[in-house]
Amino acid sequence: MSDSNAALAVSIKRMSKSFGDIEVLRDIDLEVKKGEVVSVLGSSGSGKSTMLRCINWLEVPDRGSIHIAGERIGVNEAAGRKMNNKELATLRAKTGMVFQGFNLWPHLTVIQNVMEAPIYVKGMAKDQARAIAEQLLEKVGMSERKDAYPFTLSGGQKQRVAIARALAMSPEVILFDEPTSALDPERVGEVLQVMKNLSSEGYTMIVVTHEMEFARAVSDQVVFLEKGLIIEKSAPDKFFSNPETERVRKFLELSN
Amino acid sequence: MNGQAWLLLLEGAWTTLWLCGIAISIGVVLGLGVALVRMAKIPFVDQILVLYISLARATPLVTFVLFLFLSAPMFGINMNRNTAAIVAMTLNTAAFNAEIWRAAFLSFSRDQREAALACGMTGGVFFRRIMLPQMITSSLPGLVNEMSFLIKGSPAIAVIGIVDLTRVTNRISAVTYEPLPPILCAALLYMLIISVLLKLQAMAEKKANRLAM
Repeated sequence: MSDSNAALAVSIKRMSKSFGDIEVLRDIDLEVKKGEVVSVLGSSGSGKSTMLRCINWLEVPDRGSIHIAGERIGVNEAAGRKMNNKELATLRAKTGMVFQGFNLWPHLTVIQNVMEAPIYVKGMAKDQARAIAEQLLEKVGMSERKDAYPFTLSGGQKQRVAIARALAMSPEVILFDEPTSALDPERVGEVLQVMKNLSSEGYTMIVVTHEMEFARAVSDQVVFLEKGLIIEKSAPDKFFSNPETERVRKFLELSN
Repeated sequence: MNGQAWLLLLEGAWTTLWLCGIAISIGVVLGLGVALVRMAKIPFVDQILVLYISLARATPLVTFVLFLFLSAPMFGINMNRNTAAIVAMTLNTAAFNAEIWRAAFLSFSRDQREAALACGMTGGVFFRRIMLPQMITSSLPGLVNEMSFLIKGSPAIAVIGIVDLTRVTNRISAVTYEPLPPILCAALLYMLIISVLLKLQAMAEKKANRLAM
C-alpha cells in the first residue's frame, strides 16, 4: 500500500468483465479521491451498474484490480490467493451500497434495518448501534418512522432508510445504483436532497444515475460509459457545457 | 363414558402427543438440514437425499413403522416400540418438511442477499439474521399443515402395539360395548390438539403480511 493509494477511496485499474460472449466492461480506469462525488452516466446496458457492482465484488471482474482505501478487493496479495468469504466480507464492510430497489429487510423495522450490520458485522453494542442509527435516521429525515416496518413506507422513505443503513457502517465509499430510478417523480427530490447533504458533509460517493441536474450540481467528476468503455471523464462544468465526444453531446441533447 | 374411560382416553392422547411432538420437533429441524444440504447440490449426496425424499413420501406411514420395527433387530439394532414410532414418523415428516423448506429457499429474494453482503455480512450471518427468520414465517403455514397431517396419521403406530389416542378407543369399547362414544371423544381431543396448531398458523400469517413488500 503506497501513500498515494491511501488518499484514494477507490482506485480501479484496467478492469474488464464479460458475461459469456458479451464484453460489458473494457479496461475501466477510475480514481476516486476521499470526499469526492463521481457520477456515472450512460444509456441502459452501457455497463454502469456492472461497474459499480464490481467495486464491492457483487460481480467478479475478469481482469484488472480494484483497491478500496488502498486495500485490494478479491485478492489476498499477501497470501497470493483469492480472498475467502470472510476476508471479502471484511473489505465489503468498508463500502456501502444503495440499490435501485431499496432491498430493505422486510422482517425488521426501520431502525433494526440500520442497526443490523453494525451489531452483527462490527460486533457493536446494541445501545451504541441504536444511538448511531437514531442519528442517521435523523439525518435522512426518517426518525418519526423508526419503528415502522418497510412495507408501510413509500419508495422515497424506503430509499432514505436504505441510505441510513449504508451510512451505519461508516463506509469509505457509498455506491449508489440508480437510487431514484424506481421512484415516482414526486419522491425523487427527497432522495436527491439527502444525497446532496451527504456530499456536502464530505462523504465519498459513486452514483450511477440518470439525474443530470444532480450530476451537474453535486459531482466532482462525471464519467460517461458507452458499450463498456469510459469514453469521457471530466469535471461537470466541462462535461455538460463542452463535451469532448459527439456521443456525449447527443446524449445530453436527448436528455434535455 | 365414565371417569375411568376418560382417564384411559387422556393417557392415549398423551401418548399421541409426546410421540408426535418429538417427531415434529426433530422432523422440522432435520427437514431444514436436508433442504440446506440439497441447496449445496453436492454430487452423490444430493441423489441420495432425492431418493430418501421420494421413498419416504411414497411409503405409507403404517408400512414404514412396521418395516422399521421388524427389520431393526436384523441389523442388530435394538429398538423399542416408542423409538421405532418416533424414528418412522420423524423420517416421514422430515421428507415433507424438506420440500417445504426448499421451496422457501428457492423463492427467497436475491436482492436482500446482495444488501446483506454489501454491508459486510458473511453468508452465515445473512442466513441466521435475514433469511432464516423470514423462511420460518413464510414456511410455517406449510409446516403446520404437515404437522396436523402427521398427528392425524399417527394412529398408524398402533400397528406395532402402541396404545395411542385411536387405539385406546378400542380398549374402552371392548369393555363398554359402545364403540361410538369413545371414538367421538377421541375426535374431540384430536381437534383440540390441531386447533392449537392452527392458532400458531394464524399468528404466523399475521406476521407474514409484513414480508409482502
